[in-house]
Amino acid sequence: MECEQLAAFYEEYALGVLEGEERAEMEAHLARGCERCTAGATEARRVVSNLALAAPEAQLPSGLRGKIMEPVRLSAAARAGAPPVNTAAKREVFPAWAWIAAAALALITGYAIRQMGNQNSQLAALQKQMKLAIAQNVALQNQLDESRMVASVMLSPDSTALKLMPKDKNMPMVHAYLHPHMGVAITADQMPAMPSARTLQLWFMPKQGAPMSVAIFHPDANGVIALVAPVKMPVAEIAALAVTEEPAGGSPQPTSAPAWMAAMN
Amino acid sequence: MLLAVVQPWPEGKQPADGELMERVLRRDASALETLYDRYGRPVYSLVLRIAQQPASAEEIVQDVFLQLWKSADRFQASRGALAPWLFTMARNRALDFLRLKGEKQRRREDSQEDDFPEPAIARPDAEGAIDLSRRAEKVRALMSSLPDGQRKAIELAYFEGMSHSEIAASMGEPLGTVKSWIRGGLLRLRESLKEARS
Ligand SMILES: [Zn+2]
Repeated sequence: MECEQLAAFYEEYALGVLEGEERAEMEAHLARGCERCTAGATEARRVVSNLALAAPEAQLPSGLRGKIMEPVRLSAAARAGAPPVNTAAKREVFPAWAWIAAAALALITGYAIRQMGNQNSQLAALQKQMKLAIAQNVALQNQLDESRMVASVMLSPDSTALKLMPKDKNMPMVHAYLHPHMGVAITADQMPAMPSARTLQLWFMPKQGAPMSVAIFHPDANGVIALVAPVKMPVAEIAALAVTEEPAGGSPQPTSAPAWMAAMN
Repeated sequence: MLLAVVQPWPEGKQPADGELMERVLRRDASALETLYDRYGRPVYSLVLRIAQQPASAEEIVQDVFLQLWKSADRFQASRGALAPWLFTMARNRALDFLRLKGEKQRRREDSQEDDFPEPAIARPDAEGAIDLSRRAEKVRALMSSLPDGQRKAIELAYFEGMSHSEIAASMGEPLGTVKSWIRGGLLRLRESLKEARS
């Protein structure tokens, strides 16, 4: 078929109703890179997309904005860049009072981030506020950094998203986002409380050799896990990610079967 | 009623989609929020119409906007208009959801419905909120002016992802009739949008 004849089918092609020879011809023709028909098909796709507006108007669920904007603001804030933090150094000096304050601070942090709002001036004011808070309290910074890092790793297009499936069907899924440089982010919610004598431990299972301990962690009081740990081996050599339950303090090697696991492909 | 799609704004005050996308590219969260204010409702309405389940529709819409945030650079590189991209991606995801659910076996080739349509058309000038509500008005007026059978055929194609022969089978109408209904409807859609843009 010539371009003139194909032109009659642009809209039907964009709508997805064409089949058989008509469709095959259109596809073959476009695959040859005909400029005129490519432009025509793109324009037709634009026209057809307006049919979306024929859908009955629905009310937006009230929580949807927050579900979208919260990770977006976190990632924007991460990018807007509080000063880079030497996490390791900071964690060595982590006073007991800071732990006690941590639960309350989690609220402040979440609230503060939600307030990060519509204008850069607000953002600047908030950053100032945050710096003040940092000076007063190491825990806030620590927690904020963690959530920022988690968000950055989660949202990076270079991260590989993995779902760690629970061995116990009643347990929630654990999500991992593996970034070759930024680290591995682990998130989960609705985790049951754990006795303080026990801990969860994340392992990289290499293609060859023994499991490598990556992080030791606990769900927080709300059953949430959100942390980032460094990736200390080439991603290509990781065969699987596993989480085991271990005695407090963690183990040099897993002492139980993985409670969650995901294979790399 | 039609303006309820998007709230009316004073003419000329709202930033164009392209400008907002430039800001999204610079990681300005408020720009994405403005786009959500502009397109969240029509996108959600579309996805709910296809998926039929509010919880799943919510997840799909969340996914679409987070994808917009994550892939702003790829979108900008394509130099296309935003609304067609958003609606096409939302429709594809919602139809994928239906297909995955195995509710119906659908026919939808990825090759012609990429998430990132190729470039080649310039952004329309009047892109943005006002343009959107005007187009919504045109599309609805058009759809309600169509005879029942013709409207139904187009709805089955767009919202259910059916092909010509699937629609014919579903409606119990001859294939030729369905084809001419759809072609005629699409021509009228194109014409009415032309008027809307001038
Ligand atoms: Zn051609």
